[in-house]
Amino acid sequence: MSTTFQLNGETCRFDGDPMTPLVDLLRRDRFMTGTKAVCREGFCGACTVHVEGVPVPACLRPVGLLEGLSVTTIEGASRYDAEARRLQAAFERVDVVQCGMCFPGMVMNLSQFLRENRSADRDAVKHAMVGNICRCTGYERIVDAVMECLAEAHSPGGTDV
Amino acid sequence: MSETERTIMNLPRRDAPDKLRGRTKYTNDRMDATTLHAALLRSPEPAGRIVRLDVSGALKCPGVRAVAMAADAPGLFGIGIADHPLFASDTVRYIGEPIAAIAADTLEQAHAAVAAIELEIEPAVPVLTMEEALAPGARLVHENWRHYEILFEGGSRRGNIAWEAKSVRGDVDAAFARSDVRIVESTFRVGRQNHVPFEPRVAICTWEDDRAHIQTSTQVPWTVRNVTGKAMGLPPGRVRVTVPPVGGGFGLKFDATIEPITAVLARKTGRIVMLENSRFEETTTCLCRENADIRIRSAVTADGDIVGREATVLMDCGAYGGEQIFLTTMTAHTLGGNYRLGAVRLTSRAIYTNTPPNGAFRACNGVYNTFALERHTDEICAELGFDPIDFRRLNVLGDGDLGATGQVFDGDVLGPMLDRMERLREKVGSARERAAGRLYGRATTVGTWFIFVGPSSATVNLNADGSATLVTSGVEIGSGTMMQSLPQIVAGQLGLDPSDVIVKQADTDAAGLDVGVGGGRTTVSIGAASIEACVPIREKLLKTASEMLQTPPERLTLRNGRVEIAAIPGSGATVAEVVQRAQSIGGPVTGTGSFTAKNVPAMAGCAMGHFIEAIDIPVFAVHDAEVAVDPETGHVEVLSYSVVQDVGRALNPRAIHGQVQGGVVQGLGYALQEEVTLGDQGEIRQSGFESYRLPLATDVVPVAIDLYEGAPSMGPLGTKGAGEVPILNTAATIGCAVANAIKRPVRQIPLTPPRVLRILRGGEPELPHPHISSDWAQDTLD
Repeated sequence: MSTTFQLNGETCRFDGDPMTPLVDLLRRDRFMTGTKAVCREGFCGACTVHVEGVPVPACLRPVGLLEGLSVTTIEGASRYDAEARRLQAAFERVDVVQCGMCFPGMVMNLSQFLRENRSADRDAVKHAMVGNICRCTGYERIVDAVMECLAEAHSPGGTDV
Repeated sequence: MSETERTIMNLPRRDAPDKLRGRTKYTNDRMDATTLHAALLRSPEPAGRIVRLDVSGALKCPGVRAVAMAADAPGLFGIGIADHPLFASDTVRYIGEPIAAIAADTLEQAHAAVAAIELEIEPAVPVLTMEEALAPGARLVHENWRHYEILFEGGSRRGNIAWEAKSVRGDVDAAFARSDVRIVESTFRVGRQNHVPFEPRVAICTWEDDRAHIQTSTQVPWTVRNVTGKAMGLPPGRVRVTVPPVGGGFGLKFDATIEPITAVLARKTGRIVMLENSRFEETTTCLCRENADIRIRSAVTADGDIVGREATVLMDCGAYGGEQIFLTTMTAHTLGGNYRLGAVRLTSRAIYTNTPPNGAFRACNGVYNTFALERHTDEICAELGFDPIDFRRLNVLGDGDLGATGQVFDGDVLGPMLDRMERLREKVGSARERAAGRLYGRATTVGTWFIFVGPSSATVNLNADGSATLVTSGVEIGSGTMMQSLPQIVAGQLGLDPSDVIVKQADTDAAGLDVGVGGGRTTVSIGAASIEACVPIREKLLKTASEMLQTPPERLTLRNGRVEIAAIPGSGATVAEVVQRAQSIGGPVTGTGSFTAKNVPAMAGCAMGHFIEAIDIPVFAVHDAEVAVDPETGHVEVLSYSVVQDVGRALNPRAIHGQVQGGVVQGLGYALQEEVTLGDQGEIRQSGFESYRLPLATDVVPVAIDLYEGAPSMGPLGTKGAGEVPILNTAATIGCAVANAIKRPVRQIPLTPPRVLRILRGGEPELPHPHISSDWAQDTLD
């Protein structure tokens, strides 16, 4: 049995065990290592990808359930997703990155959150981040950068994507 | 503009764009289709004798390429004592101890083959706690402890006491016997803390030209080189270590037990071999911050003079000595720090138990000794009726005061920092109203830490395009030192933009000796070596330009990528032009530099068994917190957190702020929610993210930060390391604030809601510590 789905806009066919977690297909089969496998239990958020535009942990998503669906990883979002790119730019500008392993998942989760929550306050942003654990930064500067992004989207010159 | 001024800037990180886009290849991203995957057979028993180990069935499993066992790497290694084998040979000492490794085409095949190994262990009764380990007649975790090779002289050892360090200054008995003192005694107990780096310990090895080439996620490439050589019985020069970007270390990656296994398997197979801990393995064999039991006694006069202090600190090293052997040293500088003491004697012991070995974790030893010391200080204040901040002002270490080992401190630092904290608190205001009916508490604490110096080296090559290449054994573990302060320092010396300084990743074949990234040392030690490396380069550039420009060198300056006549901005020639000229007449423009500890003197006879008798670069911190405790649930909310940190000089203030925020939050986790408990076989029960509760975004507050500059430092440009120390007094501050809120003593952390409720309701067990005598001399070896 094989599974066919769209991966970053390209057709991806997988002939292995349909119970294979998506994160393993990405990392071990395709060597797409931007998606990080950290806890592999759905707690840390480092492997977050978009399935049909919805952020999900790739460790808990068997490939067999992706038939006909569209999957975007950090590699794809970094090229095509304006919200993700704006977030990445803010993270660079505010100098929030340390070891960096949580950030691909952080970008995937928060980019979708920002699209859907243009008026989020600081507290709402923090609540949106509880599924993305960071061991280095203590979070607050990441929140600062997200708030900058929101302000930018609201400013007269800002581009609302 | 001076070189120092040119060096200071909020330079962003050059590695951020790749990290944010998932392009960075950490070690565990570097597998390819040709890589063999290794898996470990680990001991299912905490103690016992291996009576049968048969790998013949495993070798017949599909995809298996090699097996490695104790006979392949029989050498013992360690710190201070060589007590640690790569694989257990006949004795197992903790659950999870490696016994054999299999390399196979796929990870699944490797696991299947491990399951096919036949292992029989004759179990022994494990020694699970330090109390059990120290009981008369206790079973020895290391029966042959007497016969281990001693790698560092001076420590006392006996049986399950793996190492004892002791410092004695002055007549403590006389101080305690004075008629005008009150004696205050406190006991404390702290649990382990798991680092949980997002990238687990992982290594990839190839065997090239009859040498190992190990790529690894480490903080200590030279330790990996040396341990691999020692375990395999090879000259360390037969091992090359290179280090890709590291996905978090926090001290855990001072470990070097994964890498030699990959080297054994790579030599056997001639293939690329990768060994990566699963999250379960990583968490349950983590070299945690050690659990510790502490007793402190102080003799204090009615005026508030601390005329005598004595303490015993027991540190659980687990099954092998490891870092704890070294860390016994730190008690004298942490628990023996902060305050001016009349006479003092301290014992610090590393104790063997049949539990997973502990290790180094950011501000090792200092975090809990500061918790104990500051809570003890508040108990003194409560018993003698002092205001805790006034008492600290009266007693903090100042210029000319003696440390526990008799070193003389230079400059008044902690006193002025307490003043700065008062001003910072006035500026940010109180968050008390947010307690909203809950119990409110606040505390200010002080802390003493150090910069771990020791050897570093640097080479700078100036290139014909005007860029510079910095070659060191420094590792980027996330703190930003390799991305920010080092290129800033080199650029400042050579008048370049930091983007023109290429920083080579650590490679033990290319760069000289370095003791590794940790102890807040990178900016100081590699920074100093880098500045030294720039000296001959500057001379050569100025001399060459002097001839080119017909101007004496003393009238020239290096700035903006040019060698300019100082008085005429924009004059002269580009660095590229000068380098090209210099290369053509005198060869390549390069320089090397080295740095090591200066060994500030201690008082003769004060420090026994100490790896560091006095601290070359002291670092101080003042923390303040406000908390609200819910008396119904025991939940502690941190309302505000403020830090005044002694940084010497801040080269990149914004980056330091990031380190402070991150370090404080790791400390909040330790103080409040990160709990490691051991099962009845000594196993770590919190095996993943569900049961080990890391701080989430909703658990934290923005830290108010004031960087205190100008304290004495032998660091380059007056710097001190800034990344390690922010965690130092977080548990102390939270512990004291919670005690103030609930008006009951806090003697254990983490302050999880169940523990806080037990303390509130009188159900928290006392800590009689029968294994630590109130008679200090009873607990010391000769």
